[in-house]
Amino acid sequence: MKEDHLQEEMIICRCQEVTEAEVRQAIDQGCRSLKGIKNRTEAMMGLCQGRTCRRLIERMLSESPQQMPVTQSYRPPVRTLTLNTLAEAEEGGENAC
Amino acid sequence: MHADVVIVGGGVIGNAVAFYCARAGMSVILIEQQDILNGTSSACDTAIHLQSKNPGIHLAMALNSIKKYPALQKEFDVDIHFTITGTMLAIQREEQWEVMKSFADRQKAAGLNVSLLDPAQTLAKQPAMKGAELVGSTYCDQDATIHPQNLTKAYCFGAMKHGAKYLLYTKIRSFRIEDNCITGVDTDQGMISCRWVVNAGGVFAPFIGKMMGLDIPIVPRRGQILVTEPVPKLTNTIVNCAKYIAAKFRPDLLGNSVEDRLGIGLSLTQTERGNLLLGGTREFVGYNTRTTRQAMVLIAKHGTAIIPALKQINIIRSFAGLRPYTPDSLPIISTVPELKGLVIAAGHEGDGLALSAVTGEIVSEMIAGKPLSSGIDLSQLSLARFSREDIDRFYHKYAIA
Repeated sequence: MKEDHLQEEMIICRCQEVTEAEVRQAIDQGCRSLKGIKNRTEAMMGLCQGRTCRRLIERMLSESPQQMPVTQSYRPPVRTLTLNTLAEAEEGGENAC
Repeated sequence: MHADVVIVGGGVIGNAVAFYCARAGMSVILIEQQDILNGTSSACDTAIHLQSKNPGIHLAMALNSIKKYPALQKEFDVDIHFTITGTMLAIQREEQWEVMKSFADRQKAAGLNVSLLDPAQTLAKQPAMKGAELVGSTYCDQDATIHPQNLTKAYCFGAMKHGAKYLLYTKIRSFRIEDNCITGVDTDQGMISCRWVVNAGGVFAPFIGKMMGLDIPIVPRRGQILVTEPVPKLTNTIVNCAKYIAAKFRPDLLGNSVEDRLGIGLSLTQTERGNLLLGGTREFVGYNTRTTRQAMVLIAKHGTAIIPALKQINIIRSFAGLRPYTPDSLPIISTVPELKGLVIAAGHEGDGLALSAVTGEIVSEMIAGKPLSSGIDLSQLSLARFSREDIDRFYHKYAIA
């Protein structure tokens, strides 16, 4: 019992301080996608952009009874950069990335 | 399954409609092909703008809606972070001053508290603009910010409290139409018989329309936004620029530079956590939700030119959302004479957060057959305001190869 309680309180997304229980609740409410978990709990939306918690949450989703393939894109930037650095960068053409 | 009202679409509009209908005592089922918040309503900034609304029905709806949020906040179990912040619209060039002045004059006449500020007054209100070359700004103290995901969740949980059912990850196979009347929705979770269907599909509303043989003139308009690390309070208001207004309402007046083609215009809001949301673009690129290097650089250039204090702040992410754009930038909130039992509530472009409450109320009253408490003239929002030629021209203009 005690261990279960500890698990409920466990923080799964450190940047946004989202607990495992909050992610579990979102899944119980019918959420089956990473994007849905983000929108419902704000996990993976902090400074590190889910570098640690994304994989843990993917696992929780894949273990849920209603499992679906977990798909979610990645967005730039790969690392944080200042707006000044970005403003002075080459624009590139329409298809630059 | 049976429901009085079946709502198609789990964005802020669909959820607001579900909330108002369920609260009025109707039985409601909401169908969404993904999770709630999967599209436009979670890929936006936090602004509830009044200054970006055209005087007339557009502004009247926003003013009506914004008055509802304080009471809704008390009723909801979710904190929607509704805060009156005001908006400052930065004016960078002399030739924009007259245009913005007349826009502000028309807004003042419509009951909005807008004032024109010179550069010194602008800087006093917005120290983060120190070092920017500006000819002044317009300022309104009535605009607000809100938490987009929490607003949608609040409507959703509120609707469920009043008995609404949600079918997530559910696909619609077809609509049952008998004697020009919608009587049911066939889904991969089973058949739902119903009295009303609300098409709240946003950028996907035309596809739902097609399944009923209707052409709905909505095309996606992409908006790219940068997210920064959380920082202490940088701005006291929402910040936009004159070009943002031009890009929103008169893309035809913009030039042919890369910036103008991407519809670059400043939008800046700060979340409760301290993240800044810096935008943005207005691009017609179909259903493509990627962010592009070109737009990110130009957003950073434009943003730091008006708010130099942004320069040393880090961005952590970029995202893009598709805004449901209509030929006249007004939403379609409409019944359809040739198809009884259908209400369309879509095409709010970037105004979904601002107009969600009034839209939910209007649709629930339309369905209940009651006079509209908002007094909004629905003829201006009807699908019938577009002729066959209007719709063909619109589709042709924005057809994506």
